[in-house]
Amino acid sequence: QEQLDDFFSTEEKSLNFVNGIYNKVNGESWWQVTMPRQINEMATDDNWSGNTLQPRPDITGIAAYNVFPGSTYFNSFWESHYIGITRANIALERIPGVNMDENLKTRLMAESRFLRAFFYFELVRSFGGLPIVTTYTELLEPSISDKVRSPIAEVYELIESDLNSAINDLPLKSQQSAIDLGRVTKGAAQSLLAKVYLTEEKWQSAKDMASEVINSGEYSLETQFENIYKVNHYNGPESIFEINYFTDLNFSEVGNGLPITNGSRGDQGWGWGSPTSDLENAFLSEGDNIRLRSTIIKHGEPVYGDPTTTSFDGKPTENKSGRTNRKFYVPVDERPVPYQRATIALPYIHIRLADVILMHAEASYFAGDEGTAKTSLKTIRDRVQLTTNMALTGDALRDAIWKERRLELALEHHRLFDLRRQKINGVPRIALLMGPNGSFVNYNVNISTDPFETTNLGEPQDKGKFFDINTHLVWPIPPEEIQLSKGNITQNPGY
Amino acid sequence: AQNVVKGTVTDENNNPIPSASILEKNTKNGTTTDFDGKYTITIANNATIIFSYLGYKSKEVKYAGQKEISISLEPDVAQLDEIVVIGYGSVSRDKVTSSISTVKGEDLVKQVASNPAEALQGRAAGVQVLSAGGNPGASPQIVIRGITSTLGSTPLIVLDGVMLPSGTSLNFLNPADIENFQILKDASAAAIYGSRASNGVVLITSKRGKEGKTKINVDISSGIQTLEKIQMAGASEYMQVINLRRTNDGNQPLYDPTNITTDTDWWDETIENFAPITNANINLSGGSEKIKYSGSVSLFDQESNYTKGWYKRFTGRFNVDFKISDKVTLSQDLSPRVEQYENTPGLLYNLLRIDPLTEVYLPQSQRTGNIFSIYEASNNLVPNPVGVASRVFNETFFFGFFSNTKLKYEITNDLTFNSQIGLNLTKSRTDAFSPTYFTNPNQQRQINTVFRNTSERFDYVLNNTLNFEKTIVDKHYINFLGGIAYDAQNVNFLNASQDGVPDDENPLLRYISAANGETVNASGSESQRNIFSAFFRAIYSFDNKYTFNASIRADSSSIFPEDGRTGIFSGVSFSWDIDSEEFFKSEIINNLKFKIATGEVGNQNIRISGQFFSVSDGNFGFGGDRVVTNFLGNFGNPDLKWETVRDQNIGIDLGMWNNAFTASIEFYKRTSEDLLFNVEPPNYTGIPGTIAQNVGSFESRGFDLQLGYNKQLGDFKLGLNLTIASNESSAVSIAPGIEQLLGQKREDLGNRFIKITEVGETVGLFQGFRTLGIFQNQTEINSHSSENGTIIQPNAQPGDLIFEDKNNDGLLNDDDMQTIGNPFADFYGGLNINLEYKKFDLSMQWYGTYGNDVFNYPSTFLNSGTQDVNIAAGTLNRVWSPTNTSATYPRLTQQDRNGNYQRPSDLFIEDASYLRLRNIQLGYNFTLPGFQNCRAFISGQNILTITGYSGFDPEVSGGGGIIDGFGVDYARNPVAKTFLLGLNLSL
Repeated sequence: QEQLDDFFSTEEKSLNFVNGIYNKVNGESWWQVTMPRQINEMATDDNWSGNTLQPRPDITGIAAYNVFPGSTYFNSFWESHYIGITRANIALERIPGVNMDENLKTRLMAESRFLRAFFYFELVRSFGGLPIVTTYTELLEPSISDKVRSPIAEVYELIESDLNSAINDLPLKSQQSAIDLGRVTKGAAQSLLAKVYLTEEKWQSAKDMASEVINSGEYSLETQFENIYKVNHYNGPESIFEINYFTDLNFSEVGNGLPITNGSRGDQGWGWGSPTSDLENAFLSEGDNIRLRSTIIKHGEPVYGDPTTTSFDGKPTENKSGRTNRKFYVPVDERPVPYQRATIALPYIHIRLADVILMHAEASYFAGDEGTAKTSLKTIRDRVQLTTNMALTGDALRDAIWKERRLELALEHHRLFDLRRQKINGVPRIALLMGPNGSFVNYNVNISTDPFETTNLGEPQDKGKFFDINTHLVWPIPPEEIQLSKGNITQNPGY
Repeated sequence: AQNVVKGTVTDENNNPIPSASILEKNTKNGTTTDFDGKYTITIANNATIIFSYLGYKSKEVKYAGQKEISISLEPDVAQLDEIVVIGYGSVSRDKVTSSISTVKGEDLVKQVASNPAEALQGRAAGVQVLSAGGNPGASPQIVIRGITSTLGSTPLIVLDGVMLPSGTSLNFLNPADIENFQILKDASAAAIYGSRASNGVVLITSKRGKEGKTKINVDISSGIQTLEKIQMAGASEYMQVINLRRTNDGNQPLYDPTNITTDTDWWDETIENFAPITNANINLSGGSEKIKYSGSVSLFDQESNYTKGWYKRFTGRFNVDFKISDKVTLSQDLSPRVEQYENTPGLLYNLLRIDPLTEVYLPQSQRTGNIFSIYEASNNLVPNPVGVASRVFNETFFFGFFSNTKLKYEITNDLTFNSQIGLNLTKSRTDAFSPTYFTNPNQQRQINTVFRNTSERFDYVLNNTLNFEKTIVDKHYINFLGGIAYDAQNVNFLNASQDGVPDDENPLLRYISAANGETVNASGSESQRNIFSAFFRAIYSFDNKYTFNASIRADSSSIFPEDGRTGIFSGVSFSWDIDSEEFFKSEIINNLKFKIATGEVGNQNIRISGQFFSVSDGNFGFGGDRVVTNFLGNFGNPDLKWETVRDQNIGIDLGMWNNAFTASIEFYKRTSEDLLFNVEPPNYTGIPGTIAQNVGSFESRGFDLQLGYNKQLGDFKLGLNLTIASNESSAVSIAPGIEQLLGQKREDLGNRFIKITEVGETVGLFQGFRTLGIFQNQTEINSHSSENGTIIQPNAQPGDLIFEDKNNDGLLNDDDMQTIGNPFADFYGGLNINLEYKKFDLSMQWYGTYGNDVFNYPSTFLNSGTQDVNIAAGTLNRVWSPTNTSATYPRLTQQDRNGNYQRPSDLFIEDASYLRLRNIQLGYNFTLPGFQNCRAFISGQNILTITGYSGFDPEVSGGGGIIDGFGVDYARNPVAKTFLLGLNLSL
């Protein structure tokens, strides 16, 4: 095997090494990163943990806010992202010394910076303040084991600086050759920075950055909502940053595993994470059938877009709600053989234009520009044939933008972080939904008559009642990390 | 007057002894017996005749006119003149200055086992044989004076002078072929073996022919093995526990215990009550002055108590010694063997966890797939153990051939040249098949795969030594040995697999070419390793009182970089025979010897790849097409070096009443330096995996005590052998920047490490939370608070565990973890008892440990836990409830808001002291026409275990090394109780 010190000798190897950083965006295996993202979704009002056969503290417990700090999924999420950061740090340190095309060198450095920022952003919004490592050299020093957690603001400083630098150097999507599609672009960096600004409540900056993307002319909404998530549909017009999963049985871990982990137990899936009736009601209350049928599959009903499945088996005896996420569902005729984890050519979309437009709407609203906010909101509703009330203003407009975000991006792993950052009178929305008096808990315990959810009590109806605002706005630091750092890395309060 | 006397000299079994010496007392008149043990001597009136033979007690007979004096000699129990093999040579026991234990072959054959090491347990002080569990063919681990290395603690095995490759299992040896084991326990004894001797050395000498009539021995035994049933909850108790767990959490019950439709007893479904075991051995030996021969063939056959798993072994051994001339002797040993086995699947863990509400088989109407899919899936997704067993297809065929050629040339009476060529050839082939099946989405296989793995190993050893041995003016004994050795090891393997065999159920299609799937894999490798060595040893003894021994070895090994290839190892030792001193006069004490020794040995089994910062590759997609990715695969350590062990040994040997009572006690200190350990850095470093590091120095101290008592009173003969040893290792220093070594991360206990090693402390202690009992009521919960009144466990309810807030900060978090147990025994040892009365003999082998803690991992779910897996019968009585307030285990809850079952704590630490009757055998001797002797016996193995440990087998493996896995119980297949009937015939 080649040694790291001898490795960075050619352009091709430098490229391959940067490719290796991408491996960590979704992790190599299902449990490293995508399962933790699914668990995040389960910890919101959009998903149950779903699988009622296997009560597991490291999944079900977290979804119920009876959080098990030692969960493997916190551990692997933390570990996998830091491995990605180290890969990026190695690339940033070694590629400058390689004799190669200067344009490619600049691009590879920019890709590495984007990815490092992506990893730190995922970590900081999951765990809070972090130990910051920005070079590979420091790993060789004994003092590396003395790191402590830097304040959140310092992490965001690094993220912003990396993204701003990447924005300068990355190409536009239209400038990419076909074989490079899927690599990060200027638009991806701008979109991610917009999301970072939104999270930091830098409204004007978020609005400006989102505008850059929207006005770049590089992206457009898919005309049909149902086409956003499709097998073998890569880097579509709306896609800004996605993982191009593909099918090749000769290579492990190159396909998407979510259709299996998220799939119904009646349909060769594992049954983790099933949509709530609360989410379904949100669609129904808007009369939003176009997005509903492409978001939720229900037991006993046909699957939209899959002519083969006329009566879906949601296994309500083993599944809390008898519902499955349509966005990660693969129609029977489009499935690889054998149909198994990590072989499915369904892209995973991290950022798409609709997300950016809704960020733009939200940022505009909070920046005081209600008119622009409504225009962006209308763009999104127009596609799914919903009328927009242009008279909306104030809290009602804010709530409409938030609701639109929920419906448009449902089950795409954005919800938890949205609910943590969106605040009403300074209180994060997650705290209003969860907890003993939370509206979501109240709905399930006292109001819901959903035939599946109220019948299968394998997962208790009062999910979320243990939520504590003083603890649960971030996840716990993995205990392993506290042990390995001899206590230098401290635990978040309450865990 | 001259009188002619004739007679025969025989041994205790009435076999003639050739070459026994017959001497007229106080004269030089003497003779020896012939081939048939017969002699004729002419003696004076009133003479006394002395009959003697090496290894037997001399007898004196007063001549009183007998025409014939036939005599039977008894073995000398004292064995003072016993020859001890010390590596490239041998000396008499009184010249031994270092720590060497001897176990005789006759003791080994009493236990019927695939591995001769099984019978070593408790027979030599300080030598532990850690059981590998109850699977047929399982190979136990021999551990000499405790585990001090992280590289594995297997001692170097040397068979008739040929060093065997590291990790060689003793399975290949027929116990009946073994003359004795010599175990070199300290570094001064082992130094002659240099860089491979840090875990001690086991020297095995095989049986050779002796001059005399051809002797034939036949041993046959056969029996059954049985497992003690583990009582798990039935359907009713399971339902009650799950329901209570849910109702305690405020949820509705799940089951109706009055409506039980299925109540599967998984033990009965999975375990076979009786499994056969058979052992047969035929040995033939004899010889003349010119040619001595010994040959044997053996068969061993053992089945497991599960539906899959068996082990068969056939061995042959043919040893011949030719005395070509007065000066030259040529010896040739040939030993072919065949082993065949099917690995026993580890079913116990699933068997314990699967719930009793699941049927074994699907109803006929629901069966759709192949015969591997007819098993019902459990609701809790634990694999159905009967189904798992049905899908296990593997068979290994193993062929080994061992040849050992020795040439001995006695240049002069004092100077001997020895040359040896040892060859060790092994070939193995494993065929395996994984059929397709479907039980549920998590337990399925959509494509079948057929595998064939082959490996070949060819090792050879060349030894040339020159030995000078002389006693000068009766007082100065000198023994010099010099030699060179070359050792070459060649290993290669080829693994191949292909998927897509068209028919899962046809056993004739389980070969690679029968498959037509797309995925074809082949991998192979070849490796070579050569060691060139030179060694020297000097022994000097003055007047049998003072003996000095010094040895040195230089090893040059190809596995190290060129500039660091050579290591030099040495040992010196001294003994003082106090009883030989003039001033020492004792009627009672016949032997008193003091020994002191020090030495240094090495361990070269390092993980070479640990040095490198290697780049690995993977795959990713852009635009739906594959691209190659590269990334750092291993974070290396270029400064890796081999481990060394330095030790000091001091001991006293004592013999009393003409060695009827013997005692030996030795104290030692072993310091291992540059110990290798795979250190896990904090995850924020993004370093993949672990870093191999030399992590400083551990010190191990202990003692070995051996007591023996042998007495004959008329027809009654008694032999007792007691060994007691103690050993504990502590960390003297750890590498700079590393203050602690962590091991055994447990996912379901919060991904926490449960083993910790810190400077100044015992290595590999258990760490976790200390419990202070169980909260009985809310008042107790409220009063478990910090000084300022913060409730430490706000989520607790009555019935939950009280955890100690060690740092008194009012919070219960990972800072409160502490050491909660020590896996080292205060003492371990064995007691062997041999009784003979007239035609009966009875032997017992006891082994036990005292004061060691075990982390009982299964108890994290067997008494509740949080998952819906089965629990042990009687759980309801063991868990806390308002009406069972003195319970050991906390209340039933699935949410477990208090973390009773989600953190390592002393709830799972148990004292695992035990005493086990490993073997008991009752024999009866009788005669049949045509046979010299016949003996029938009945024996039982592992039939009695006395312990307070609640797990299934207190004999917990040491897997994973001292820092890591030592002392953790993971519910391996337990050791079976075996009952045997046997017959020994000699003619």
